Amino acid sequence: MSHYEASIREPLVLGDKSYHDITEDIARPIEGKANKNWYIAFYISLAAMLWGFGCIFYTVGTGIGVWGLNKNIGWAWDITNFVWWVGIGHAGTLISAVLLLFRQKWRMAINRSAEAMTIFAVFQAGLFPIIHMGRPWNAYWVLPIPNQFGSLWVNFNSPLLWDVFAISTYLSVSLVFWWTGLLPDFAMIRDRAVKPFQKKIYSLLSFGWSGRAKDWQRFEEVSLVLAGLATPLVLSVHTIVSMDFATSINPGWHSTIFPPYFVAGAIFSGFAMVQTLMGIMRKVTNMEDYITRMHVEYMNIVIILTGGIVAVAYATEFFIAWYTGSPYENYTYLSVGAATGPYAWAFYSLLFFNILTPQILWFKKIRRSFIASFIISIFINIGMWFERFDIIAIVLSKGHLPSTWWRFEPTFVDVGIFIGTIGFFFVLFLLYARTFPVIAQAEVKTILKSSGEFYKKRSEQGIPTKPAIVVLNTADKKKDSDNNLNG
Amino acid sequence: MDSSKVIHAFYTDEEVLLDAVKAVKSEHHHIEEVFCPFPVHGLDKAMGLAPTKLAITAFMYGLIGLGFSIWMTNYMMIVDWPQDIGGKPSFSWIENMPAFVPIMFELTVFFAAHLMVITFYMRSRIWPFKDAENPDPRTTDDHFLMEIPVQNNEEELTSLLCKTGAVEINVVDKH
Amino acid sequence: MYQFSGRLKTFSKALIFIGLIGIAFSFYNGSKKTLEDANHIIEAVHNDGHENGHAQVKDSHVEEMKHDDHASQDDDHVSKEIKAEPHNDDHAEHVLHQLQNRPWSAFYVALFFSLGLSLLVLTFYAIQRVALVGWSVVILRVMEAITANLLPTSIIMVVLLVASVMHLNHLFPWMAEGIFDPESDKYDAIIDGKSWWMNSTGFIVRSIAYLLIWNAYRFFIRKGSIKEDTANDSNKTYKNNYNMSVVFLFLFMITESMMSWDWIMGLDPHWFSTLFGWYVLATLLVSAITVIAFVTIYLRSKGAIPGVNDSHIHDLAKFMFGFSVFWTYLWFAQFMLIWYADIPEETTYFVARFTEYKLPFIGMVFMNFVFPILLLLNSDFKSKPWFVFIGGTVILIGHYIDIFVMIMPSTVGAQWSFGIPEISAIFFFVGLFIYTTFSAFARANPIAKGNPFLQESEHYHYYNIEHTGEGSGDHH
Repeated sequence: MSHYEASIREPLVLGDKSYHDITEDIARPIEGKANKNWYIAFYISLAAMLWGFGCIFYTVGTGIGVWGLNKNIGWAWDITNFVWWVGIGHAGTLISAVLLLFRQKWRMAINRSAEAMTIFAVFQAGLFPIIHMGRPWNAYWVLPIPNQFGSLWVNFNSPLLWDVFAISTYLSVSLVFWWTGLLPDFAMIRDRAVKPFQKKIYSLLSFGWSGRAKDWQRFEEVSLVLAGLATPLVLSVHTIVSMDFATSINPGWHSTIFPPYFVAGAIFSGFAMVQTLMGIMRKVTNMEDYITRMHVEYMNIVIILTGGIVAVAYATEFFIAWYTGSPYENYTYLSVGAATGPYAWAFYSLLFFNILTPQILWFKKIRRSFIASFIISIFINIGMWFERFDIIAIVLSKGHLPSTWWRFEPTFVDVGIFIGTIGFFFVLFLLYARTFPVIAQAEVKTILKSSGEFYKKRSEQGIPTKPAIVVLNTADKKKDSDNNLNG
Repeated sequence: MDSSKVIHAFYTDEEVLLDAVKAVKSEHHHIEEVFCPFPVHGLDKAMGLAPTKLAITAFMYGLIGLGFSIWMTNYMMIVDWPQDIGGKPSFSWIENMPAFVPIMFELTVFFAAHLMVITFYMRSRIWPFKDAENPDPRTTDDHFLMEIPVQNNEEELTSLLCKTGAVEINVVDKH
Repeated sequence: MYQFSGRLKTFSKALIFIGLIGIAFSFYNGSKKTLEDANHIIEAVHNDGHENGHAQVKDSHVEEMKHDDHASQDDDHVSKEIKAEPHNDDHAEHVLHQLQNRPWSAFYVALFFSLGLSLLVLTFYAIQRVALVGWSVVILRVMEAITANLLPTSIIMVVLLVASVMHLNHLFPWMAEGIFDPESDKYDAIIDGKSWWMNSTGFIVRSIAYLLIWNAYRFFIRKGSIKEDTANDSNKTYKNNYNMSVVFLFLFMITESMMSWDWIMGLDPHWFSTLFGWYVLATLLVSAITVIAFVTIYLRSKGAIPGVNDSHIHDLAKFMFGFSVFWTYLWFAQFMLIWYADIPEETTYFVARFTEYKLPFIGMVFMNFVFPILLLLNSDFKSKPWFVFIGGTVILIGHYIDIFVMIMPSTVGAQWSFGIPEISAIFFFVGLFIYTTFSAFARANPIAKGNPFLQESEHYHYYNIEHTGEGSGDHH
């Protein structure tokens, strides 16, 4: 087994760290007390969440009419937010699954939190279609249940039903993938817990993980197979979301490039959100040695790449819309009609936030700057929201008949529910950051020798990673005792 | 009883551990178990553990999921209640198949992933309310623990393990 | 240093020679076709149609007249066609053009495949540099050698495209005379609407620009890569090569899509699909990686690339597997969306392929999806050269057929078959490929020994597999 890594690669774990130091660093935020900043952030998020819940109750009690929808724009903020949240969810699985298949070691510092983000984001996404049903207590009708329960069979020809299957599979598989990876880390917290209650809780959460060689062998195989399954799964989810639009015959929605283009956009926005969250988290939980400038730069490179793919897709959409020779294509979200029409502000916002802003990342200085990356990531989040809003509202605002031309004005309820989901998301994430091991410590330990700063420096001097063997004095430590502390 | 006695040898480095496992194996001693805080590549082979077959079970589960989705779409859309939806009448499964591919894919993944993980949990005996079985709490932090059953060869084993770089050696009665 | 063995050299030259004879023969045969032959075929189809029911004839004739089926002024013209008068001169001329197109198309399919996969090997190579890939450094020179095929195929491509513009063939319907002339009865309002894009000058200028960009990168990166071996300048050359590759990938993303619109989508000037560029990309990418695997396996068996072990083969096979799935994904996304929306402008593409090309069209989906999935799913199989070879052969044949059904239905329509023109074109380009690749490989150090990641690559061992093949002794 070799721990060799080219010296040109920058270290991923800074400082002179031992395995035990990693344990200490990861356990500290859980065992310590939250500071004032955490409480401030938590209460603001909680307030936003409660405001959002109020708007949801108002919507359900009164009817969808309280939203700004009208006869032609029957889908607007709700589906925009739905797609936005689902898209954000994609980066987590990308980091944990795709980067695992590509053996990218830098994923290990961020995969845990990115997956948490995925799961919390998919929760928010799932809320919107359920509220939009109007009678959310009948939501179970989307499941393939027999007719006696009040519905016909569900329609498997409908992309909306594919969404039900895709998103529930995605949510449940992500959850299982995340939890399986958490088991050894929960076990670590359990084994060092001193308070009995804490020990009980983490014992329950860790499912009695003991770390036998056979368990680890299975664990690695399961991780690999889950990564292999999750990779096409994550592609399929946004593919199917894109098909909600692309299977229609609406100009601007019916476009064969939508599946891969939506997936690239989802990863783009997801990485932006990871960048936003990591920017906060590395400070709050003192993980500066694990989430380094190098990690930020790698994520920025992924953002440039996926942003580039999205830009090529925009160019393709714009070109082919003209190439078809169909006059209706001039009212799509990427067209001269959109650039000069009433939604020009949304059109230019999209280009500014999504296409222009990420180009600054071509400069290495910016790419490695925490604060610049943080700001750019927020810009991209806004840009990707506009992308979905443009696709939905601009396209629907100009149909084939001028008499159907309407514009969309959101009401305070639309805005309130959106803000509520942002609050809900941060409430979940902040609770997570206090109670869960935020870095996959077992995995980071496996790369310490190859990618830790200390070991990398030593290996450049030719010092092997294997320590010299100190032969134990037989009589010294041998004792007959029952050392079975875990019972 | 001598046969329930085991030796616990602790190591703090996975490369030292791997060499130790090979040394113990080459002396033809049986290694009952090794507890690790993180995965060590090559350990399973050094210990002589059989490769895991979980990937194969996942493939089988995936096939079951695929079969189930085909049956389900056919039964619900074609056999039980055929409808003409959007000009695509549901009279033949194969002609509607492209619309069912997303469902077929999702259920394949759903079955493969969840049943494989459940199989893993059952085989490795991990589930909620299960008590941990690692003999020392340090094995989830930075210590590796090798467990070797003692069969009237305590001295021999101890001296062998000392040479391999163990940081601590305990002889323990196993319940 | 590797020596291009005399036997292999003779073999490649023989392939080129046999190919050339076959191509010359096919062109001679094609030029002899007359309206007479076309009428024979129409009559045969007509009679055949009567036996099998009339609907089929209608279908195929509407399809053949694809360049008429939108323009409204052609409505009565189409209905005349449906009556299938065997002596309609327009129709006979159309069939004659298809007959004359066959040697050109056969040549074009093989040329595009050969050029495209060399280009994608170049792209994959650039990705290795940009993504700071460690494992693949020992096969970087193999990829470089394959890209030597880019220059000759590019030159042939320019010749062929110029020949098309000069009306020596009828591959691109929009180049036909009268299309842009409102006075002519061949006037096509839709194509005229895009004359800004579809005009001969722009077409040739763009095509040459793509080829120049790709070949320029190939020329400079090869130079830079060889310089790396001896540079010893604390990675300055290496970083320069890195920057060059970033610029290339940026330009490639744009030129690849445009190339597919110009060279393939333009064969069906009314049809459009936004995904098409990336679909072509996926096809060529799988083929490129398969070819890298083939050349690597061959050179390793000759002992020419020390340091390549089973893990490297395993990784290549993993990419073959992964990109086969990716190709299927894009194929399905394009097909399903068009099938689902069922808009006549778009379905023409698939209707033509489902009627006249059913067997190759469906068959290639199986070859490119089901077969690689089943064969290369298993981790152990991926490191066995034999399995990779069998899987790769099916993948390459499958993707050749994929390109075949992209091009042929538009250029020769129902008059397709697989015979001397196709086989000799394949022979010619395979021979050319072997000749350029191996002579380029013999011209440089087989290992990129100046690359800072070389040691990572030599030590590379994927934990899940056992090394058994050549070179398995020297890993750690």
